[in-house]
Amino acid sequence: MIAAQCTDLSMVYKSFLHKENEALRSVNLKIEDNQIFGILGPNGAGKTTLISIMATLLKPSRGNVKILGMDINSSKNLKRIREKINLTSGNPNLIWSLTPFENLRYYAFSYGLNNKKKIEELLEFFELEKQKDIEFNKLSTGNKQKVTLARAFINNPELVFLDEPTKGLDPGMAKKLRKKIKEYQKEKNITIVLTTHYMAEAELLCERIAFINKGRIVAEGTQNDLKNILKIRDRIIIKIDGKLPDLSQKLNLEGVQLIEVNKGGKYTFYVDDSENRLEKVVKKVSEYGSIKNIKIKEVDLEDVFSELSKRDL
Amino acid sequence: MSFPNFQSEIYKTLAFAYRNILITKRNFFTIFETLFWPLVSLFSVGLMGSYLELTEDLLAFIMIGAVALSVMQLAQLDVTYVLLFDIWSKSIKYTLVAPASFSNLVAGSWMVGILRGLVAFAILAFFSQFLFGLNLVKMPILSLAIFLLGLFMNALIIGMSSCIFLLLFGYRAEVAAWTSTAIIMLLCGIYYPVTVLPPEIQTISYAIPATHFLEYFRSFYGFDPSFANPHFLGYTLNLLYIIIGGIAYELAMKRARKTGTVLQFSE
Repeated sequence: MIAAQCTDLSMVYKSFLHKENEALRSVNLKIEDNQIFGILGPNGAGKTTLISIMATLLKPSRGNVKILGMDINSSKNLKRIREKINLTSGNPNLIWSLTPFENLRYYAFSYGLNNKKKIEELLEFFELEKQKDIEFNKLSTGNKQKVTLARAFINNPELVFLDEPTKGLDPGMAKKLRKKIKEYQKEKNITIVLTTHYMAEAELLCERIAFINKGRIVAEGTQNDLKNILKIRDRIIIKIDGKLPDLSQKLNLEGVQLIEVNKGGKYTFYVDDSENRLEKVVKKVSEYGSIKNIKIKEVDLEDVFSELSKRDL
Repeated sequence: MSFPNFQSEIYKTLAFAYRNILITKRNFFTIFETLFWPLVSLFSVGLMGSYLELTEDLLAFIMIGAVALSVMQLAQLDVTYVLLFDIWSKSIKYTLVAPASFSNLVAGSWMVGILRGLVAFAILAFFSQFLFGLNLVKMPILSLAIFLLGLFMNALIIGMSSCIFLLLFGYRAEVAAWTSTAIIMLLCGIYYPVTVLPPEIQTISYAIPATHFLEYFRSFYGFDPSFANPHFLGYTLNLLYIIIGGIAYELAMKRARKTGTVLQFSE
């Protein structure tokens, strides 16, 4: 089943002085259910705008969005969609003077629910039992973020939008929250759409990823799909005491697409698969000198991200 | 509407009453608001009346202006706060992403406004009797209820308008929360009959429901209203403005979703 689908989606913000800012340009996106789907992109790429449109907070200038099969452009669907979705952002802001328990109770009521057990369950899941009666503004940033995350699950949503959920958190807390998000998704079989800057977060959590830049989706797929689309290859970096000849012929090695000469006797071999090619590359290189050091760098989302961010759209 | 749906709507409305009560309880400023300014207003008007040796009827005439201003201000503030609390805490998107409607928002907060307004009225009525010998509740209880409900409905309209201005203009409209009631009261004859105002202004005054509810109250103290059955006229105007307010809110929300104001409030 499709959890969210955007077709030819565009968003233009018009300011009071009629200055236009095109935040999204003809976005097409299909998000299957029961998975964590990542939206990655640099600052100002349009991630928050896209997620806010899908969460019904913004009305697109053009195009269609279907959430759980319902069109968001039809105002009679808004209430039904909102009952089944939820959202949270990386700026942990809830009502300052209310405690986590009171905040969760208020938001549960606003979904038409009066379920104290669910609130207790969420407080326990996010390890907030000790903080449940402390005013929100007196909590640490990490605990504030935990409460805002707990709030996003208060209505047992089928689809949750998390806008940079670990922004500004220390690595330990961020890791903990990522684990919680993953656990919750698995346990409840829900769909989570998250935006992030952190490649490690996307690699760890997301089954599929869309890259957005300057308001356009520039690539979409699984992590492997993306690496293949961009033809970015793994790298084997070898330092030898000697010199390699005739690099243009790539030493007649299968799977080697490029050899780069670096300073200090270092050579970078761009290969299709470092694991399968390593042995032969090392054997060949050792014919020309003794090997001092070998490093393998498998392509990661960071490489994909920087490659895509460089592309002129 | 099925029972689960009805129950769900009740909870959505109670959400905003629950939140306003908790914030009021925890915030010294809101308690101050309920007691301090209404009493300052009552004492100053009462003392002025004593100094000028006004008759009981004339004292009631001006005193009810001061009381009505306080009651309306308190009741409308709770409705305005329903969005302001969210804007101040930068959490408005969480309220708007929930399936609660504008009617849930205003009804829940209005309930707390009525409660605070009634507390203020009871305190002011007590002090006006105790300090100035003026009985503000000498009319039949039903008539008093008609008067107060009329004022509360007018307060609801002011609160709704403030919410609409907040959605349209953001923080710049915050000032409407504290000034709109004063302007309304100035126009609807807080300490004087509206007939003393210039004719063009009188037209505006008669379009304000509170004008008719003040005249209704004052009719029990021997002052003739401008129109027969002023309370009917007041309620008709109240209902009309509430319907217009509901439509205007929907339009303002549509605009806010198009322009991204909702996101700006949360940053």
